[in-house]
This record gives sequence, structure tokens and C-alpha cells, in this order.
Amino acid sequence: MRTLAPSFLLLVLATGAAANEIQDAKEAASAKAATIRFEEIGEAAGVRFVHSTRKFAGRHKRQVLEMFTDGGAAVAVGDFDGDGYDDLFVTSSDAGAASHLMRNGGKTRDGKPLSFTEVTAAAGVGGGNDPLSIVADALWLDYDNDGRLDLYVGRFGTPLLYRNEGPGEDGAWRFTEVAAEVGLTKFGNTIGAVAFDADNDGWLDLMLANYFQPLNLLDLETTKVLPNDLDYADNGGGVTFYRGVELEGGRRGFVDATAQAGLAHHTGWSLDVGHADLDNDGWQDVYVAGDYGTDRLFMNNGDGTFKDVTEQAIGFDTRKGMNVDMGDYNRDGFLDVYVTNITDEYMKECNFLWHNNGDGTFIDLSKETGTCDTDWGWAAKWGDVDNDGWEDLFAVNGLRSAGEQNYIPLLLETTIIKPGVDFSDLDSYPDIGDMTWSGYQKQRLFHNLGEGTFKEIAAAAGVDNDLDGRGLGMGDFDNDGRLDFFQANANQPSLFYRGVTENAGNWLELKLTGTTSNRSAIGARVRVEAGGETWLREVNGGNGYSSSSTLRLHFGLGAAARVEAVEIRWPGGKVERLAAKDGQPPVPINAVVRIEEGRGVVAR
Amino acid sequence: MKPRCLWIVPVLALLGAGALGAADGRGLYEEGLAAAEAADYEAAFAKLEAAVAAEPDNLRYGTAYRQAVIAAAGDEKKELYERCIDFFKTLVAAHPEAANAYLNLAFAHVDKIPAEGAITQVILANTSLTYFGNALELEESWLGRYSRGHAYLFWPTIFGRAASGIADLEKAIAIARENGDPKPYHARAWAALGDGYWRLDDVDKAREVWTRGRELFPGDGELEARLSRTGREELDAYLEVHYDTGQRVATHLREILGRDAAGHDEPAPR
Repeated sequence: MRTLAPSFLLLVLATGAAANEIQDAKEAASAKAATIRFEEIGEAAGVRFVHSTRKFAGRHKRQVLEMFTDGGAAVAVGDFDGDGYDDLFVTSSDAGAASHLMRNGGKTRDGKPLSFTEVTAAAGVGGGNDPLSIVADALWLDYDNDGRLDLYVGRFGTPLLYRNEGPGEDGAWRFTEVAAEVGLTKFGNTIGAVAFDADNDGWLDLMLANYFQPLNLLDLETTKVLPNDLDYADNGGGVTFYRGVELEGGRRGFVDATAQAGLAHHTGWSLDVGHADLDNDGWQDVYVAGDYGTDRLFMNNGDGTFKDVTEQAIGFDTRKGMNVDMGDYNRDGFLDVYVTNITDEYMKECNFLWHNNGDGTFIDLSKETGTCDTDWGWAAKWGDVDNDGWEDLFAVNGLRSAGEQNYIPLLLETTIIKPGVDFSDLDSYPDIGDMTWSGYQKQRLFHNLGEGTFKEIAAAAGVDNDLDGRGLGMGDFDNDGRLDFFQANANQPSLFYRGVTENAGNWLELKLTGTTSNRSAIGARVRVEAGGETWLREVNGGNGYSSSSTLRLHFGLGAAARVEAVEIRWPGGKVERLAAKDGQPPVPINAVVRIEEGRGVVAR
Repeated sequence: MKPRCLWIVPVLALLGAGALGAADGRGLYEEGLAAAEAADYEAAFAKLEAAVAAEPDNLRYGTAYRQAVIAAAGDEKKELYERCIDFFKTLVAAHPEAANAYLNLAFAHVDKIPAEGAITQVILANTSLTYFGNALELEESWLGRYSRGHAYLFWPTIFGRAASGIADLEKAIAIARENGDPKPYHARAWAALGDGYWRLDDVDKAREVWTRGRELFPGDGELEARLSRTGREELDAYLEVHYDTGQRVATHLREILGRDAAGHDEPAPR
């Protein structure tokens, strides 16, 4: 077993000599306020992709189906090759269109630009848009705990699961598609997915958010496939819950446990699902964002089954739920929930910032905090972009930016207010042609002011683009302690924002590895104590609409120059506390630190 | 659904029988008010529905019933609003000549809006316009014109309904002028008419209208509130709150229906 001190030394070396320089600079600049800035480097970094939505053919309202399925611009962040740099998987959705696996070359501290290399072909993970399936989401997960991240690809169809086989003799990474082999065989119109360990058995389970009911949109026998009500729809796809199990021969796989887990009654139009331990009981709970009707909150019964507590915890709503991410925005030790909805000139729903009251109930403080309006919201993620110790929010938005004519008045007159109209019928909707619908909307970056309010600073930070955002992948791709974003846009080029904030605070990033817990430590809860303050994070397995972010935990520490303790509650309940010893801090600041369950800090 | 099934039979019986006279209506109305005051809403609904059934065109009785529903339902119990809407639908079907029954039916839709989702709100708002129109087809009135005109202004600009609102509000002002009996509440039409021009992004015209209104109704709070906001941003902020579809619109008609110093009802205006 390694001792702490050598590991610590290795880590400092591994994260580069620049760490000391950064710390020196931080101390010198500690009195200066951070200027939050991002630079868009998609083209230069080799990760500019134009997503393409599926085009429908046939006798049914072609464009109407396209309108209702124009998500699918997804991004998944994960270090699939274990080199210490997060990589990217970016989807497309049209027939035959390929997704992209991009390997991160990293190394910007020595002045080289952040750059990615496409390795899709060798990896064999670009497919999925076959004639009867549409790629719509992606997620990295280590389903078999072999230490290599596997790739789940969600589809309007059956899922794909690419098992990471590691590098071949030529050094190229290989994947094998094993979805059917491991039991992921259920058809669904899946747009969101999270992987987490619902029963704390050490193996990941998988929960899918399904939009349409399970019928194939590319081979329809009816036109009545749309929401049966625009505020109270109950004819959607609900969720699918796959429990991770051991199959014959000892292989890992999944079984559909939706009904057994108490989730089958939910038949809403699920757009996203997020997980976290919301009641601090050590078990992962689930929030489902529902379009055309109520969101749902399911609390874990402590055995991997769930209880629907929507009515008492948040109440039933009629909004158009799009995104779920969890974060402790006010540092009270309880994770809060951020949900995007639709706010526009013609419909002012407001988002939800569900402040966790800590007693099983939540109160929406989006108006009070200033995070209510993100127009037609899609993905939104928590992250401390200036390392001041408070989690900020980046939210992407916009449905369809096209011609000058606005689709909404036409939709109103021909469908919404038409007496007796059947909203579920494709034939009830006019084609959109070249019209715009909630398009050209500016993205929002909410800076957490640390006093329960946020300030919108997207323009000043350089991220106020008006593309039709969908998925949002967050990570520190160049390991410089400043969070970066990949923004996937529907039918438009993607954007890649590198954080270049000056005078950012100190930071710490933790990469956790489970041993008796699931290997990626998804669900692990970490408290970092520094400078007399405490921060809380949990490793999440894919929260946020049509996207998954880094599996590392990022902590902005503000001016704190030394970490006093790191306490980890691993999934399963084991608590490890790494505290200062002999005057030495348990972990360095301004560094990426690896911690393994039962072993403490380890080298990469 | 259960409450709707239970109440509809007696209401139909009430409406069909038509045996209750005005005097009976008055008594039921007073009893209904007392029950509502005591928060005995089931009793209040029964009495007030019976009162309205006895006098379908009585604006006051219908208004009292709707207000009892709002008090009981808040922004949550949709089924009570549905009961109310269904009641007035049945009422106008049985009494298609009752303009004030149509007005109450329109207001019942407006009353339900805060309890509904965004799309259903649009449908309710649009349906209310239809019923305001039915009332106006039967009888021109300041209240009908003002209510429909004001309702049009809640629609976002992209739907192009502000011009219709302006037309109704101008007509309401003309009706008041023709009647020659100015009431303080007539100032509302001036405030709303200016709001219509604000909706059309013609703030100069809006201020001109509000100023004219203030000349006719000096000291009116709504007109003062608008004119005191000289900056565009503060004016927008004020009016955007005023036209926030998520907030309940007051439909109690208290200023219009009023009671005299002795506590007796004043005649409802036509």
C-alpha cells in the first residue's frame, strides 16, 4: 500500500509543475476579482460538428415529426482512455449520420492548444442512425467495473452499448457493441439517461427518460402519437429502469426492472432524468423532467426501489420540463435541483430552482434567485466557473432558428385554440416550413453571487451565442482548473468554450475510483473543508438534458489556500476522511487528485 | 370528475323548472353570500347556483357565485372552476337571451386561468373572448366592451390582438360618453386603452390617452401609476406585471356593482 506522502508527491508532479506557478499567481492575485471569460475554440480544437436531425419521409406530417424530435444533439464527456484528459463523444441524428469520438490530446499548460483527434472509425462507435433508429443521447459508464468507461448511446429505438475493450496492438481503442448481449433490448424513444447505483450493490444501474410512447416514429401506423394534452399529457414514454445484474457465465448485464422499482406508473413525456441523494440518507433519488406535464420526484426506498413523492415534495406542475441537474447552490449541505422550462414572449413558465428545504420538501426559488428565465431552455449545468466557491449555472436554449416568420401565431390559430382539436394527431399541426419557433435566443450564464442570487453574465463572459443549444458537456478538458463547456446544437455547428477566466480562485478536482463501490464512484458524496468552509459535491452519472459531464468533481475554493479535509461517503455507505497529518494537507490545491476507495490518494 | 356528476342533475332541474322568481333569487343570493362568508362553500354554491338559475341575467348573483368559487378553489382546485364553467354553459344554453349570463361564463373562464398550465391558459383566454362576444351580440355594454378589450391586451404582441382590444376600449369609452353618467370605474377603459397602444409599442400615444383620461378622472390611481413611470423600462416593468397571465385578474366587479351606504345593492349597470 502506498503511503500518502509519496502519492502526494506523484500527484503534484503528475499535474505539472505549473500547479505551483498557478498557486503563486493565485496568491498574488487573491485580492483581484475574477473576470469570467470563455473563448470559443471548437474549430481550432478540432471539435466543430454540425448536428443533423432526422428527416422523416412517408405519408405522415413529415415536418411535424421533425419538430417533435429535433433533440438528439448530445455530448458525453469521459476519459475513455484513462490518460487523465476528458474526451468527447458527440452525436448526430439523421439517417446514416455518424457520431464522433474525439480523443483529447490535452497539454495546454506548456503552451500547446487544446486539441482532439477523431478516433471514431477505429473505435467503431459512430453508427446507430439506421433506417429505423435515431441517435438521441450518449453516456459514459463503466457498467462492468473493469476500469474502462463504456459508451451508452440512447436512441429512438433500442439502445446501443459499446463495451470498451481497451487499446489494440496498434494502440487504437476498440469497442464492441453488446447491447443485446447484456440485455438492453427494450425499444424506447429515449432522450435522456443516467447511470447510478440505485441499490448500492456496487454495480451501475441505468435509468432512461423516454419521450414518445414506445412506437417507432419511422414506421408509424397511426398519426395519433403526439401528447394528448399540452399541459397534462400522460401518453408519453415515461422511464425505463435497467438494474445491473450478473448474467449467466458471470458476465455483467441488465434486466428491465421498471415495474419492480415502482416507476411503471409514470407515463409522462420524459425529457431528462437526474439523480442525487436529495435527503442525505445515502441512497440515490431521481427527478424526472416532463414535457407537457408534471415532473416527478422519486425517493429511493433504501433498497433500489422508489416512492413517488411528487405531490408532497414539489407538487404537480404543468410546465415543459427539459433538464435536471443537481447542485448545492447555497452550500447548506443539501443538493438542490435545477430544471429548465419554457419562458418566451408567448409562454412565461419560468424555470424551477428547487431549493431543498431539507425536510423532504422543496420550494421553487428561480424568480428569487434570478434564474427563472432562460427562454426555451434545454441543458443547464452547475459548475463553479470562476472558482469563487459558489456554483454557477450555464444554460443553453433555443428551439428553431430559421426564417423571419414566426411559427407560433400559426400554431395558435390552427391548433391551440381550434375547438375540439386532437393534440395527439400529427394532422392537427401545420408544417413549420422555414419559420422560426423560439429561435435566435441568447444562452445564459448565471454567476452565483453567493448570497442566494445570481447575475446573468453570458455576454460579458463571451458565451451569449444564439444557436439552438441542446446538450451541454462540462469538464476541465485541459486540467487547468477552469471549467470548459461543449455545447451541442440542433442542426447547427457545435461550440467548444474553454474557460480562460483571469484571477479565478483556487481549486481542487477529484477523480474517485470505487473498489467495493461502482468503479466510477457514481453517487459518491464528497465534502471538502478548506479555509473554514465546506463544499459538497456528488459524482453524477449523466445529469442534464441530452448530455453527460465529467465524472471528476470540481471544487472552486475561492481564496482558501489549503485543504483541511476531504470526506468521502462512498456509495454503499463507507465514509473515508482524509485529514491533515503532521501539518501536511491531505490533498494539494490547484491539482487533479485521484482517490481510490479504501486507499486514499493514489497516483494515476 | 365526481363533483361535476353530482351537481349537474340538480342544476339542470333548477334551470329546467324555472319556477323560482326574482324574490326567491334574492333570498337565495343573500343566503349564499352568508354561507360563503362562513366558508361553507358547498352550501354557498348550492344557494348561489339556485339564485342565478332563478335570475340568469343577474350579473350580481353570477358574480357572487364566481367569487365564492375563487375563494374555495384558490389556484388549485380546478374541479370547482370546471363546475362553475359547466354551470354557466348550461345556463346560457337554457337562456340564450341572457347577456349577463354570457358575461359570467366569460369571467368564469378568466377565473380559472391561474389554476391552469400555460397552454390551457391560452385556450381559456381565447374561449372567454368568444363568450364576451356572445354577450355583446345580445347587448352592447360598457362592461362587455371593457372586459373583452382588456382581455385582448393580455395576449402577447405577436398574436396581433392589441388592435381588437383598442377597438373595444374605444367603444367602451364611447358608450360611457353616450350614457352621460360618468363613473369612477370608467377611468379603467382609459388606462387600458393606453395599454393597448403600449402593446403596439406606441408609448407616446399611450401617454396621450392616459393624460386625457386623467383630465376626465383626476386622481385615478391606475392612470397616475402609468403616467408617473416616465422611463420606458419602469413603465414596461409595471405593465408586464399587470399583464402577467399567471396572476389572477380581479373579476369581482366590486366597483361596478357596489352597495349603497345602507348596504343595499346598487343597480347593476348595463
